[in-house]
Amino acid sequence: MFEGSPPARGRWRWAGLLACLALVALRADAASALLGKQAPDFALHGLDGQNRRLSEYRGRVVLINFWARWAGDSRVEMPVLDRLNTTYRRAGLVVLGVSIDDDERHAGEFAAAMHVGYPILLDSGETVGRDYSLQRLPMTVLVDRSGIVRFVRVGYRRGDQPAYLAAIRELLRE
Amino acid sequence: MNRNRRFVSIARSAGALLCLCAALAQGQTPVQGQTPIQGKTPVQSEAPPAAAAPPADFKTLDQQVQGVKKDVIDLNKDLFILEENLLFPANTQVAVYLSMDVGTFFALDSVTIKIDNKEVANYLYTAREVDALLKGGVQRIYLGNQKIGKHELVAFFEGKGPHGLDYRRGASITFNKGIGAKYLELKITDRVAKHEPEFTIKDWE
Repeated sequence: MFEGSPPARGRWRWAGLLACLALVALRADAASALLGKQAPDFALHGLDGQNRRLSEYRGRVVLINFWARWAGDSRVEMPVLDRLNTTYRRAGLVVLGVSIDDDERHAGEFAAAMHVGYPILLDSGETVGRDYSLQRLPMTVLVDRSGIVRFVRVGYRRGDQPAYLAAIRELLRE
Repeated sequence: MNRNRRFVSIARSAGALLCLCAALAQGQTPVQGQTPIQGKTPVQSEAPPAAAAPPADFKTLDQQVQGVKKDVIDLNKDLFILEENLLFPANTQVAVYLSMDVGTFFALDSVTIKIDNKEVANYLYTAREVDALLKGGVQRIYLGNQKIGKHELVAFFEGKGPHGLDYRRGASITFNKGIGAKYLELKITDRVAKHEPEFTIKDWE
């Protein structure tokens, strides 16, 4: 049925392309829908054995980074976030890495290999990921001092660091 | 149920807004030279000389603001109680509280509550929350609606036991839900004689 004439095949290709574009737009929308809203609260186990609750960091700027060891961009992003954590920790920045890996041991090994100094929390059930409309990894969310989501970035590219810096500095100044 | 919640939320917002407007209206004194609205005379035209008047005026204004703030807090409390009464009427209300005493033999990590084999609460504790409980704090871990009759509540406590090892214990109670609200308390205490923690559930009649 689909092996029709060349114009018909072309039409199907266009339809497929448009569907893909719509899907990408929907994903971006789901993540950016969080902007300006209260960040969903969560409490998660950490790899260091401590439990952490987002609402306990009220009054500080919190960067939440969702990652998984199988997401290639996470390897590039995590050292950048570690540097940001080291630089701005004293100014009031808290960086929380949230791993959505199913295997806690593998997530721990990966985090250790990346030498990150910020706490890694485990969300193997993806309950927190669902609250944050997580659809692609990595995803970074910045929460201001009053608990409002102010910045969302889905995926990571090498040129994204200045955008992170600008957003963090602005929130720290408030 | 959602409609009730929305209604209460709207009522609360409206109440707070009303109080805020009242505070602004009371605190507002017309600026000198400004045209009075609807024939009202400006306050400053009858006020005593500027050198002596401001402290008394400010004091009154401050008292008014404090009064309005107190009203807002009282109103918020009333609305909170109203919300709870609407969402959880006494004839179906079941509340479960958690308290901890000493905590030498048990470091609390999480609590899971099941009523009639259905999970109704799962709470993960941070170090700060455990500290608050050890200082005598009581946490309301569950508030919900249950039908009148017999129910079984099972609570699972997870954490670190006497030698720092993973520790998981359960406690259960069968309670009878009557016409009034039902209050249950999960208690974690140290059983010194056996060097182990004890988990009990108290039914507050």
